Amino acid sequence: MPNPTNGGTCLLPVGTVTRAMHAKEVLAHGGIAAIVVRNDPAATGSGCAYAVSYACGREREVRRLLRAAGIRPYGGKRI
Amino acid sequence: MIYLDHAATSFPKPPEVVAGVCNCLQSCAGNAGRGGYRSSIQAAELLYDCRAAAAKLFGAASPEQVIFTAGATAAINQAVRGSLRPGDHVLISDLEHNAVYRPVWKLAKEGKITYTVFPTFANDPSATAEKILQGIAERIRPNTKLLVCTHASNVCSAVLPVAKIGALCRRYGIRFVVDAAQSAGHLPVDLGALSANAVCIPGHKGLCGPQGVGLLILEQNTVLEPLLQGGSGVGSLDPEMPGDPPERYEAGTLPLPAIAGLHQALKLAEKRSFAAVRLREKRLWEALAGDLRAIPGVSVAAPQFSGAVLSFWSDRIGSEPLAAALDERGFCVRAGFHCAALAHKTLGTPRGGAVRVSFGEGSRREDVRLFANALREILLEL
Repeated sequence: MPNPTNGGTCLLPVGTVTRAMHAKEVLAHGGIAAIVVRNDPAATGSGCAYAVSYACGREREVRRLLRAAGIRPYGGKRI
Repeated sequence: MIYLDHAATSFPKPPEVVAGVCNCLQSCAGNAGRGGYRSSIQAAELLYDCRAAAAKLFGAASPEQVIFTAGATAAINQAVRGSLRPGDHVLISDLEHNAVYRPVWKLAKEGKITYTVFPTFANDPSATAEKILQGIAERIRPNTKLLVCTHASNVCSAVLPVAKIGALCRRYGIRFVVDAAQSAGHLPVDLGALSANAVCIPGHKGLCGPQGVGLLILEQNTVLEPLLQGGSGVGSLDPEMPGDPPERYEAGTLPLPAIAGLHQALKLAEKRSFAAVRLREKRLWEALAGDLRAIPGVSVAAPQFSGAVLSFWSDRIGSEPLAAALDERGFCVRAGFHCAALAHKTLGTPRGGAVRVSFGEGSRREDVRLFANALREILLEL
Protein backbone atom coordinates (compact mmCIF):
# COMPACT_ATOMS: atom_id res chain seq x y z
CA MET A 1 0.00 0.00 0.00
CA PRO A 2 1.13 3.58 -0.51
CA ASN A 3 3.93 4.68 1.75
CA PRO A 4 3.85 8.35 2.66
CA THR A 5 7.30 9.87 2.32
CA ASN A 6 8.62 13.33 3.02
CA GLY A 7 6.76 16.39 1.72
CA GLY A 8 3.36 14.78 1.35
CA THR A 9 4.46 12.50 -1.48
CA CYS A 10 3.19 8.95 -1.70
CA LEU A 11 4.77 5.95 -3.39
CA LEU A 12 2.89 3.06 -4.90
CA PRO A 13 5.02 0.12 -6.08
CA VAL A 14 3.55 -1.42 -9.25
CA GLY A 15 6.31 -3.83 -10.35
CA THR A 16 7.94 -3.52 -13.74
CA VAL A 17 9.15 -0.27 -15.20
CA THR A 18 6.67 -0.71 -18.09
CA ARG A 19 3.80 -1.04 -15.66
CA ALA A 20 5.06 2.02 -13.79
CA MET A 21 5.22 4.00 -17.05
CA HIS A 22 1.70 2.89 -17.86
CA ALA A 23 0.53 3.94 -14.39
CA LYS A 24 2.16 7.33 -14.85
CA GLU A 25 0.40 7.73 -18.22
CA VAL A 26 -2.98 6.74 -16.77
CA LEU A 27 -2.55 9.22 -13.94
CA ALA A 28 -1.47 11.96 -16.36
CA HIS A 29 -4.64 11.39 -18.41
CA GLY A 30 -6.56 11.74 -15.16
CA GLY A 31 -4.84 15.04 -14.41
CA ILE A 32 -2.50 13.71 -11.76
CA ALA A 33 1.20 14.39 -12.00
CA ALA A 34 3.30 11.37 -11.11
CA ILE A 35 6.85 10.26 -11.62
CA VAL A 36 8.40 6.81 -11.94
CA VAL A 37 10.88 5.94 -9.26
CA ARG A 38 12.74 2.91 -8.08
CA ASN A 39 11.06 1.32 -5.09
CA ASP A 40 12.90 0.37 -1.92
CA PRO A 41 13.35 -3.43 -2.24
CA ALA A 42 12.83 -3.82 1.48
CA ALA A 43 9.27 -2.54 1.08
CA THR A 44 8.10 -5.32 -1.24
CA GLY A 45 10.20 -8.21 -0.03
CA SER A 46 10.78 -9.76 -3.44
CA GLY A 47 13.49 -7.54 -4.76
CA CYS A 48 13.63 -4.76 -7.30
CA ALA A 49 10.50 -2.96 -8.45
CA TYR A 50 9.34 0.39 -9.74
CA ALA A 51 6.77 2.67 -8.22
CA VAL A 52 4.82 5.79 -9.08
CA SER A 53 5.19 8.80 -6.84
CA TYR A 54 2.41 11.38 -6.51
CA ALA A 55 0.95 13.89 -4.08
CA CYS A 56 -0.68 12.08 -1.18
CA GLY A 57 -3.63 14.45 -1.43
CA ARG A 58 -4.68 12.69 -4.66
CA GLU A 59 -4.59 9.24 -3.07
CA ARG A 60 -8.23 8.36 -3.63
CA GLU A 61 -8.19 9.40 -7.32
CA VAL A 62 -4.93 7.53 -7.89
CA ARG A 63 -6.45 4.35 -6.57
CA ARG A 64 -9.59 4.79 -8.64
CA LEU A 65 -7.74 5.53 -11.89
CA LEU A 66 -5.26 2.69 -11.54
CA ARG A 67 -7.94 0.22 -10.55
CA ALA A 68 -9.97 1.19 -13.63
CA ALA A 69 -6.88 0.64 -15.80
CA GLY A 70 -6.30 -2.81 -14.31
CA ILE A 71 -3.04 -1.79 -12.66
CA ARG A 72 -2.43 -3.54 -9.37
CA PRO A 73 0.12 -2.65 -6.73
CA TYR A 74 3.18 -4.86 -6.74
CA GLY A 75 2.38 -8.06 -4.88
CA GLY A 76 -1.00 -8.58 -6.52
CA LYS A 77 -3.29 -6.95 -3.97
CA ARG A 78 -6.21 -4.93 -5.24
CA ILE A 79 -5.86 -1.18 -5.07
CA MET B 1 22.73 0.67 -57.28
CA ILE B 2 19.05 -0.18 -57.53
CA TYR B 3 17.86 -1.90 -54.40
CA LEU B 4 15.04 -4.40 -54.95
CA ASP B 5 15.45 -6.68 -51.93
CA HIS B 6 13.11 -5.00 -49.46
CA ALA B 7 11.57 -8.32 -48.43
CA ALA B 8 14.96 -9.21 -46.94
CA THR B 9 15.48 -5.80 -45.36
CA SER B 10 14.44 -2.30 -46.32
CA PHE B 11 16.95 0.19 -47.64
CA PRO B 12 17.64 3.05 -47.35
CA LYS B 13 16.32 3.72 -43.88
CA PRO B 14 14.40 6.99 -43.44
CA PRO B 15 16.53 9.86 -42.08
CA GLU B 16 14.30 10.01 -38.99
CA VAL B 17 15.18 6.39 -38.20
CA VAL B 18 18.90 6.98 -38.68
CA ALA B 19 18.70 10.07 -36.47
CA GLY B 20 16.78 8.13 -33.83
CA VAL B 21 19.47 5.46 -33.63
CA CYS B 22 22.35 7.94 -33.67
CA ASN B 23 20.83 10.28 -31.11
CA CYS B 24 20.23 7.38 -28.77
CA LEU B 25 23.77 6.06 -29.15
CA GLN B 26 25.08 9.52 -28.38
CA SER B 27 22.78 10.53 -25.56
CA CYS B 28 21.00 7.57 -23.93
CA ALA B 29 22.88 6.79 -20.74
CA GLY B 30 21.84 3.85 -18.63
CA ASN B 31 19.99 0.60 -19.00
CA ALA B 32 16.22 0.94 -19.26
CA GLY B 33 14.31 -0.77 -16.48
CA ARG B 34 17.31 -1.38 -14.32
CA GLY B 35 18.39 1.82 -12.57
CA GLY B 36 16.49 4.52 -10.75
CA TYR B 37 18.63 7.46 -11.85
CA ARG B 38 17.13 9.97 -14.22
CA SER B 39 18.80 8.87 -17.45
CA SER B 40 17.83 5.24 -16.82
CA ILE B 41 14.22 6.34 -16.31
CA GLN B 42 14.47 8.42 -19.52
CA ALA B 43 15.66 5.31 -21.37
CA ALA B 44 12.65 3.43 -19.97
CA GLU B 45 10.40 6.23 -21.21
CA LEU B 46 11.83 5.79 -24.69
CA LEU B 47 11.00 2.08 -24.55
CA TYR B 48 7.53 2.82 -23.30
CA ASP B 49 6.84 5.40 -26.00
CA CYS B 50 7.86 2.87 -28.65
CA ARG B 51 5.62 0.22 -27.09
CA ALA B 52 2.72 2.70 -26.99
CA ALA B 53 3.21 3.57 -30.68
CA ALA B 54 3.32 -0.12 -31.61
CA ALA B 55 0.24 -0.87 -29.48
CA LYS B 56 -1.67 1.84 -31.33
CA LEU B 57 -0.54 0.74 -34.80
CA PHE B 58 -1.05 -3.00 -34.29
CA GLY B 59 -4.11 -2.98 -32.02
CA ALA B 60 -2.59 -4.21 -28.75
CA ALA B 61 -4.74 -3.69 -25.66
CA SER B 62 -1.96 -1.79 -23.89
CA PRO B 63 1.76 -1.03 -24.25
CA GLU B 64 2.46 -3.96 -21.88
CA GLN B 65 1.30 -6.33 -24.63
CA VAL B 66 4.11 -5.17 -26.92
CA ILE B 67 7.20 -7.33 -26.42
CA PHE B 68 10.55 -6.47 -27.92
CA THR B 69 12.37 -9.37 -29.53
CA ALA B 70 15.50 -9.71 -31.64
CA GLY B 71 13.30 -9.88 -34.75
CA ALA B 72 10.29 -11.65 -36.23
CA THR B 73 12.02 -15.04 -36.03
CA ALA B 74 12.60 -14.64 -32.28
CA ALA B 75 8.99 -13.50 -31.86
CA ILE B 76 7.69 -16.53 -33.76
CA ASN B 77 9.88 -18.91 -31.75
CA GLN B 78 8.59 -17.38 -28.52
CA ALA B 79 4.96 -17.56 -29.64
CA VAL B 80 5.21 -21.11 -31.02
CA ARG B 81 7.47 -22.79 -28.50
CA GLY B 82 5.92 -20.85 -25.63
CA SER B 83 2.45 -22.08 -26.58
CA LEU B 84 2.95 -25.80 -27.03
CA ARG B 85 2.90 -28.75 -24.68
CA PRO B 86 3.77 -32.39 -25.36
CA GLY B 87 1.05 -34.08 -27.39
CA ASP B 88 -0.21 -30.91 -29.06
CA HIS B 89 -0.97 -30.73 -32.76
CA VAL B 90 -0.12 -27.69 -34.89
CA LEU B 91 -1.36 -26.46 -38.25
CA ILE B 92 0.89 -24.46 -40.56
CA SER B 93 0.39 -23.34 -44.15
CA ASP B 94 2.25 -24.51 -47.23
CA LEU B 95 3.67 -20.99 -47.73
CA GLU B 96 5.61 -20.83 -44.47
CA HIS B 97 9.04 -19.33 -44.05
CA ASN B 98 11.55 -21.42 -42.11
CA ALA B 99 10.99 -19.07 -39.15
CA VAL B 100 7.72 -20.95 -38.70
CA TYR B 101 8.52 -24.29 -40.30
CA ARG B 102 11.79 -25.04 -38.51
CA PRO B 103 10.67 -24.57 -34.88
CA VAL B 104 7.54 -26.64 -35.59
CA TRP B 105 9.50 -29.30 -37.47
CA LYS B 106 12.10 -29.54 -34.68
CA LEU B 107 9.49 -29.96 -31.95
CA ALA B 108 7.90 -32.70 -34.07
CA LYS B 109 11.27 -34.35 -34.68
CA GLU B 110 11.83 -34.42 -30.92
CA GLY B 111 8.52 -36.28 -30.59
CA LYS B 112 6.89 -33.50 -28.58
CA ILE B 113 4.21 -32.43 -31.03
CA THR B 114 2.71 -33.33 -34.39
CA TYR B 115 1.92 -30.94 -37.21
CA THR B 116 -0.03 -30.81 -40.45
CA VAL B 117 0.50 -28.52 -43.42
CA PHE B 118 -2.68 -27.03 -44.86
CA PRO B 119 -2.90 -25.94 -48.52
CA THR B 120 -3.18 -22.32 -49.59
CA PHE B 121 -3.64 -23.15 -53.27
CA ALA B 122 -1.27 -20.30 -54.06
CA ASN B 123 -0.52 -21.87 -57.44
CA ASP B 124 -4.17 -22.21 -58.33
CA PRO B 125 -5.75 -19.08 -59.87
CA SER B 126 -9.24 -20.33 -58.97
CA ALA B 127 -8.48 -20.68 -55.24
CA THR B 128 -10.70 -18.89 -52.76
CA ALA B 129 -10.53 -18.05 -49.05
CA GLU B 130 -13.36 -20.52 -48.48
CA LYS B 131 -11.31 -23.31 -50.02
CA ILE B 132 -8.39 -22.51 -47.70
CA LEU B 133 -10.73 -22.42 -44.69
CA GLN B 134 -12.24 -25.73 -45.67
CA GLY B 135 -8.75 -27.22 -45.97
CA ILE B 136 -7.95 -26.01 -42.46
CA ALA B 137 -11.21 -27.24 -40.95
CA GLU B 138 -10.67 -30.70 -42.45
CA ARG B 139 -7.27 -30.94 -40.73
CA ILE B 140 -8.28 -29.83 -37.24
CA ARG B 141 -7.89 -32.59 -34.66
CA PRO B 142 -9.08 -32.79 -31.06
CA ASN B 143 -5.53 -31.97 -29.91
CA THR B 144 -4.95 -29.10 -32.37
CA LYS B 145 -3.79 -26.28 -30.10
CA LEU B 146 -2.09 -23.86 -32.45
CA LEU B 147 -2.34 -22.54 -35.98
CA VAL B 148 0.54 -20.42 -37.17
CA CYS B 149 0.72 -18.95 -40.63
CA THR B 150 2.14 -16.16 -42.67
CA HIS B 151 0.06 -13.10 -43.42
CA ALA B 152 1.84 -12.38 -46.72
CA SER B 153 4.23 -14.72 -48.49
CA ASN B 154 7.93 -13.84 -48.78
CA VAL B 155 8.17 -15.63 -52.15
CA CYS B 156 5.12 -14.34 -54.03
CA SER B 157 2.51 -11.69 -53.35
CA ALA B 158 -0.08 -14.09 -51.94
CA VAL B 159 -1.91 -12.74 -48.89
CA LEU B 160 -3.68 -15.29 -46.73
CA PRO B 161 -7.23 -14.60 -45.44
CA VAL B 162 -5.89 -14.26 -41.90
CA ALA B 163 -8.94 -12.54 -40.42
CA LYS B 164 -11.12 -15.45 -41.56
CA ILE B 165 -8.53 -17.97 -40.38
CA GLY B 166 -8.45 -16.19 -37.01
CA ALA B 167 -12.22 -16.35 -36.72
CA LEU B 168 -12.12 -20.07 -37.51
CA CYS B 169 -9.45 -20.63 -34.87
CA ARG B 170 -11.50 -18.69 -32.33
CA ARG B 171 -14.48 -20.94 -33.09
CA TYR B 172 -12.44 -24.08 -32.46
CA GLY B 173 -10.54 -22.71 -29.45
CA ILE B 174 -7.21 -22.89 -31.28
CA ARG B 175 -4.48 -20.39 -30.53
CA PHE B 176 -3.64 -18.32 -33.63
CA VAL B 177 -0.20 -16.83 -34.35
CA VAL B 178 0.38 -14.63 -37.39
CA ASP B 179 3.77 -14.16 -39.02
CA ALA B 180 3.53 -10.58 -40.25
CA ALA B 181 7.13 -10.43 -41.46
CA GLN B 182 6.09 -9.37 -44.98
CA SER B 183 2.87 -7.55 -44.19
CA ALA B 184 3.73 -5.11 -41.38
CA GLY B 185 4.28 -1.73 -42.99
CA HIS B 186 2.62 -2.88 -46.23
CA LEU B 187 -0.86 -3.90 -45.08
CA PRO B 188 -3.03 -3.07 -42.07
CA VAL B 189 -2.10 -5.47 -39.26
CA ASP B 190 -4.41 -5.38 -36.26
CA LEU B 191 -4.34 -8.03 -33.55
CA GLY B 192 -8.06 -7.72 -32.80
CA ALA B 193 -9.21 -7.60 -36.42
CA LEU B 194 -7.24 -10.79 -37.08
CA SER B 195 -8.63 -12.51 -33.95
CA ALA B 196 -5.00 -13.44 -33.31
CA ASN B 197 -3.35 -14.40 -30.05
CA ALA B 198 0.00 -13.14 -31.27
CA VAL B 199 1.40 -11.23 -34.21
CA CYS B 200 5.12 -11.38 -34.98
CA ILE B 201 6.71 -8.37 -36.65
CA PRO B 202 10.22 -7.46 -37.78
CA GLY B 203 11.39 -3.90 -37.28
CA HIS B 204 13.63 -3.73 -40.32
CA LYS B 205 11.45 -4.80 -43.25
CA GLY B 206 8.24 -3.01 -44.20
CA LEU B 207 8.42 -0.73 -41.18
CA CYS B 208 11.84 0.53 -42.36
CA GLY B 209 13.35 0.43 -38.88
CA PRO B 210 16.82 -0.81 -37.97
CA GLN B 211 17.83 -4.44 -37.78
CA GLY B 212 18.09 -6.05 -34.35
CA VAL B 213 14.61 -5.45 -33.02
CA GLY B 214 11.23 -7.02 -33.68
CA LEU B 215 7.86 -7.08 -31.97
CA LEU B 216 5.65 -9.75 -30.49
CA ILE B 217 2.17 -8.28 -30.12
CA LEU B 218 0.37 -10.42 -27.59
CA GLU B 219 -3.34 -10.67 -26.94
CA GLN B 220 -4.16 -9.63 -23.38
CA ASN B 221 -5.24 -13.02 -22.05
CA THR B 222 -2.57 -15.04 -23.85
CA VAL B 223 0.18 -16.26 -21.55
CA LEU B 224 3.26 -18.00 -22.93
CA GLU B 225 6.10 -19.89 -21.34
CA PRO B 226 9.08 -17.54 -21.64
CA LEU B 227 11.88 -18.96 -23.79
CA LEU B 228 14.59 -16.90 -22.13
CA GLN B 229 15.30 -16.62 -18.46
CA GLY B 230 17.43 -13.91 -16.91
CA GLY B 231 17.45 -10.41 -15.53
CA SER B 232 14.28 -8.39 -15.92
CA GLY B 233 14.78 -5.51 -13.49
CA VAL B 234 11.91 -6.63 -11.30
CA GLY B 235 11.43 -9.25 -8.57
CA SER B 236 15.15 -9.98 -8.46
CA LEU B 237 14.89 -12.22 -5.42
CA ASP B 238 12.40 -14.49 -7.18
CA PRO B 239 14.01 -17.27 -9.31
CA GLU B 240 11.03 -17.22 -11.68
CA MET B 241 10.56 -14.75 -14.49
CA PRO B 242 7.96 -12.08 -13.71
CA GLY B 243 4.37 -13.04 -14.43
CA ASP B 244 3.45 -9.87 -16.29
CA PRO B 245 4.28 -8.94 -19.87
CA PRO B 246 6.36 -7.54 -21.41
CA GLU B 247 9.23 -8.16 -18.98
CA ARG B 248 8.19 -11.81 -18.63
CA TYR B 249 9.52 -12.36 -22.16
CA GLU B 250 12.39 -9.86 -22.23
CA ALA B 251 15.27 -11.34 -20.23
CA GLY B 252 18.45 -9.32 -20.60
CA THR B 253 19.25 -5.86 -21.85
CA LEU B 254 17.16 -4.54 -24.72
CA PRO B 255 18.74 -2.92 -27.82
CA LEU B 256 17.79 0.64 -26.94
CA PRO B 257 19.32 2.35 -30.03
CA ALA B 258 17.48 -0.03 -32.37
CA ILE B 259 14.27 0.55 -30.43
CA ALA B 260 14.79 4.32 -30.69
CA GLY B 261 15.03 3.90 -34.47
CA LEU B 262 12.01 1.63 -34.54
CA HIS B 263 10.02 4.24 -32.62
CA GLN B 264 10.69 6.75 -35.39
CA ALA B 265 9.77 4.13 -37.99
CA LEU B 266 6.46 3.46 -36.23
CA LYS B 267 5.65 7.16 -36.18
CA LEU B 268 6.20 7.26 -39.95
CA ALA B 269 4.15 4.10 -40.47
CA GLU B 270 1.27 5.62 -38.54
CA LYS B 271 1.03 8.38 -41.17
CA ARG B 272 1.20 5.92 -44.06
CA SER B 273 -1.83 5.21 -46.23
CA PHE B 274 -1.79 1.45 -46.64
CA ALA B 275 -4.20 1.72 -49.57
CA ALA B 276 -1.73 3.99 -51.37
CA VAL B 277 1.18 1.67 -50.51
CA ARG B 278 -0.73 -1.31 -51.85
CA LEU B 279 -1.71 0.49 -55.04
CA ARG B 280 1.88 1.60 -55.70
CA GLU B 281 3.19 -1.93 -55.11
CA LYS B 282 0.56 -3.47 -57.39
CA ARG B 283 1.42 -1.03 -60.16
CA LEU B 284 5.13 -1.79 -59.88
CA TRP B 285 4.38 -5.51 -59.76
CA GLU B 286 2.12 -5.39 -62.81
CA ALA B 287 4.64 -3.36 -64.80
CA LEU B 288 7.45 -5.79 -63.98
CA ALA B 289 5.32 -8.89 -64.55
CA GLY B 290 4.25 -7.50 -67.92
CA ASP B 291 7.89 -6.95 -68.92
CA LEU B 292 8.96 -10.39 -67.69
CA ARG B 293 6.13 -12.23 -69.43
CA ALA B 294 7.28 -10.73 -72.72
CA ILE B 295 10.70 -12.40 -72.33
CA PRO B 296 10.74 -15.95 -73.76
CA GLY B 297 11.49 -18.67 -71.20
CA VAL B 298 10.78 -16.49 -68.15
CA SER B 299 8.08 -17.62 -65.67
CA VAL B 300 6.51 -15.66 -62.84
CA ALA B 301 5.47 -17.42 -59.62
CA ALA B 302 1.80 -17.16 -58.60
CA PRO B 303 0.95 -14.55 -61.23
CA GLN B 304 -2.59 -14.12 -59.93
CA PHE B 305 -1.27 -12.17 -56.92
CA SER B 306 0.25 -8.73 -57.33
CA GLY B 307 2.02 -6.84 -54.57
CA ALA B 308 5.42 -6.14 -53.09
CA VAL B 309 7.07 -9.46 -54.01
CA LEU B 310 7.65 -11.03 -57.41
CA SER B 311 9.67 -14.21 -57.97
CA PHE B 312 10.60 -15.45 -61.41
CA TRP B 313 12.94 -17.85 -63.14
CA SER B 314 14.40 -18.40 -66.57
CA ASP B 315 14.67 -21.75 -68.29
CA ARG B 316 18.09 -20.68 -69.65
CA ILE B 317 20.04 -19.79 -66.49
CA GLY B 318 19.86 -20.69 -62.79
CA SER B 319 18.60 -18.17 -60.28
CA GLU B 320 21.94 -17.62 -58.50
CA PRO B 321 24.01 -16.93 -61.64
CA LEU B 322 21.20 -14.72 -62.89
CA ALA B 323 21.15 -12.71 -59.64
CA ALA B 324 24.95 -12.45 -59.81
CA ALA B 325 24.72 -11.08 -63.38
CA LEU B 326 22.08 -8.60 -62.22
CA ASP B 327 24.35 -7.59 -59.35
CA GLU B 328 27.11 -6.80 -61.86
CA ARG B 329 24.66 -4.39 -63.46
CA GLY B 330 23.86 -2.79 -60.11
CA PHE B 331 20.64 -4.58 -59.11
CA CYS B 332 20.22 -6.02 -55.62
CA VAL B 333 17.84 -8.98 -55.78
CA ARG B 334 17.80 -12.28 -53.96
CA ALA B 335 17.99 -15.71 -55.56
CA GLY B 336 17.48 -19.26 -54.31
CA PHE B 337 14.82 -20.49 -51.95
CA HIS B 338 14.40 -17.48 -49.66
CA CYS B 339 14.40 -19.63 -46.49
CA ALA B 340 11.00 -20.95 -47.57
CA ALA B 341 11.23 -24.52 -48.83
CA LEU B 342 7.51 -25.13 -48.31
CA ALA B 343 6.54 -22.05 -50.31
CA HIS B 344 8.83 -22.91 -53.21
CA LYS B 345 7.43 -26.43 -53.32
CA THR B 346 3.90 -25.03 -53.33
CA LEU B 347 4.73 -22.58 -56.11
CA GLY B 348 6.50 -25.18 -58.21
CA THR B 349 9.74 -23.29 -58.70
CA PRO B 350 12.51 -25.21 -60.47
CA ARG B 351 15.49 -26.95 -58.80
CA GLY B 352 17.59 -23.80 -58.79
CA GLY B 353 14.93 -21.76 -57.06
CA ALA B 354 13.84 -18.31 -58.22
CA VAL B 355 15.01 -14.72 -58.37
CA ARG B 356 12.98 -12.52 -56.06
CA VAL B 357 12.34 -8.84 -56.69
CA SER B 358 10.75 -7.00 -53.78
CA PHE B 359 9.59 -3.41 -53.66
CA GLY B 360 9.84 -0.88 -50.85
CA GLU B 361 9.19 2.74 -50.02
CA GLY B 362 11.71 4.12 -52.51
CA SER B 363 10.99 1.77 -55.43
CA ARG B 364 10.07 3.58 -58.66
CA ARG B 365 8.62 2.66 -62.05
CA GLU B 366 11.99 3.58 -63.56
CA ASP B 367 13.67 0.87 -61.44
CA VAL B 368 11.37 -1.71 -62.98
CA ARG B 369 12.10 -0.52 -66.53
CA LEU B 370 15.86 -0.60 -65.97
CA PHE B 371 15.63 -4.00 -64.31
CA ALA B 372 13.69 -5.54 -67.20
CA ASN B 373 16.17 -4.06 -69.71
CA ALA B 374 19.12 -5.49 -67.78
CA LEU B 375 17.46 -8.89 -67.63
CA ARG B 376 16.84 -8.88 -71.38
CA GLU B 377 20.49 -7.98 -72.00
CA ILE B 378 21.75 -10.76 -69.73
CA LEU B 379 19.57 -13.37 -71.40
CA LEU B 380 20.57 -12.18 -74.87
CA GLU B 381 24.25 -12.55 -73.97
CA LEU B 382 23.86 -16.18 -72.95
